[in-house]
Amino acid sequence: MVRIKHRYLLVNILYPDPKTSNVQMKAKPGEDAPYAMQFRQPSSDKMDGKVLFRLIKDNVAELFGDYGSGKIAGSLQVKYFSQATSTAIIRVSRDHYRLVWSALTFTTRLPKPLLQPCVVQVVRVSGTIKKAEEEAIRRARIGILRAQRASKGLTGGVLTTRKPTNGAEAGAQAEADDDIDASMIDGIEDGNEPGDVDEDDGE
Amino acid sequence: MFYDLNIPYVANDAHLPRTLAFLSELGYGVVALNHSIVGKLPAQISCAIPSPLPQKDIPCKLEIRRRVTLTLTESYQNARLAELAKAYDILAVRPTDERTLQLACSSLDCDIISLDLSQRLGYYFKFKMLSEAIKSGKRFEICYSQGLMGDSSARRNLISNATQLIRASRGRGLIISSEAKAAVGCRGPWDAVNLATVWGLSQERGFEAVSKEARSVIVTAQLKRTGYRGVIDVVYGGEKLEVVEELKQGKEGGKQGKEGGKAKQNQAAVNGQKRKAEGDADGGAETAGQPISKREAKRRAKKARMGGEETDQAAQIPATGAVPAKNGEHG
Repeated sequence: MVRIKHRYLLVNILYPDPKTSNVQMKAKPGEDAPYAMQFRQPSSDKMDGKVLFRLIKDNVAELFGDYGSGKIAGSLQVKYFSQATSTAIIRVSRDHYRLVWSALTFTTRLPKPLLQPCVVQVVRVSGTIKKAEEEAIRRARIGILRAQRASKGLTGGVLTTRKPTNGAEAGAQAEADDDIDASMIDGIEDGNEPGDVDEDDGE
Repeated sequence: MFYDLNIPYVANDAHLPRTLAFLSELGYGVVALNHSIVGKLPAQISCAIPSPLPQKDIPCKLEIRRRVTLTLTESYQNARLAELAKAYDILAVRPTDERTLQLACSSLDCDIISLDLSQRLGYYFKFKMLSEAIKSGKRFEICYSQGLMGDSSARRNLISNATQLIRASRGRGLIISSEAKAAVGCRGPWDAVNLATVWGLSQERGFEAVSKEARSVIVTAQLKRTGYRGVIDVVYGGEKLEVVEELKQGKEGGKQGKEGGKAKQNQAAVNGQKRKAEGDADGGAETAGQPISKREAKRRAKKARMGGEETDQAAQIPATGAVPAKNGEHG
């Protein structure tokens, strides 16, 4: 009767430090790989869902103490983790997802065996795992398109430097980038699950 | 559109393009590079942030503004604040104690009041003081990066001070920015909004803090610098365009053209005086700067038609040689 309601956080792990290189990037001689590809590089082999779970638990304990740990312990689960795209879907109970979200924001580096500086960005909060999955697929698709364009050497979007760009190419790439931006502006929280009634809105 | 108005600027920083690219990747559209000044202002005030930036590989989608933060210590020169404001796009002040905060809120002419929230403040925020500042267009800034990257006490102070500030300001007039020295200190805009929500700001106010309020800071600062008495900018100042006639005659020759132009002008003036009702019939075409009224347009069309028919008739006389036929056609 009392159904526990969850929130599913879709999370990207970004690596801003120039020293982290989990993969060898094939770049043009004399140039580095474009920044966007470096930031969204795949995670190292030692990184997986269990390490992420441990990371979240430790951070919540550090920030919110025993209270926070107790609150999320029952419902915290890493539903999906992909090394290749450094993406994860984390399940939390609906009432306490902001605790986990802020714990993720406060992470500065990956835990013990890895110790790489990283930035965790939450890109979607959704009431169903299906929506989170769809968003992950959409973003992966856009990421592939950008990487393909970058490898062909076309300019445009984040990958551009301040050089004069060919209008058509820049326009086409801008469309792909705008795709991501458009979804960010309206808000990243999805509606509730079907049948989910929001009793508490005083967040 | 998301704004991050506090990225510390250090001269000749090799990591700056990386930081800016990271911000652009996270979703920010406008970023302000911040130059801090502590203590005495230099004799010659000029913008320390070169434009365009000397580093290559700056992402082109990111708009960059230049900002200065002046730390208000015991001795500061109020008179030169205006000079400082002119050299940069945004002027921010950092009060160090309650007295300077009171000064900044009431009398100083700045765009942002930025406090170092990772230090333990010895005083409480009062709504009256903050709302006075907000009414005059100043915004309070919450910088999250120091608490993020720093040690436990910095984090505790940040949370405590931010909570107090949010409560005292009732959620309005706040902007959120990183003060990130490196790319690792930056967070996505929605992550920053979530932090503020955990600290007591409602979701809508949090979103405003990263988007609308920040935008209003930039726009207000710009208006202060380019506007005058309610006028934002001048697009067309009402100058008369007399260049048109000279351009027409210009092909024939410089001097000749000018004389010809003058003659036409005189004729136009004469015509205008003779036939005021016509409204500069001939000269009207010359002064092309002013839009033609509908009545004038009709008059001209009619004239052209009549003139056209006259020449038509003149051409047809030798061809046909018959007057009645002409009249018949005229119907």
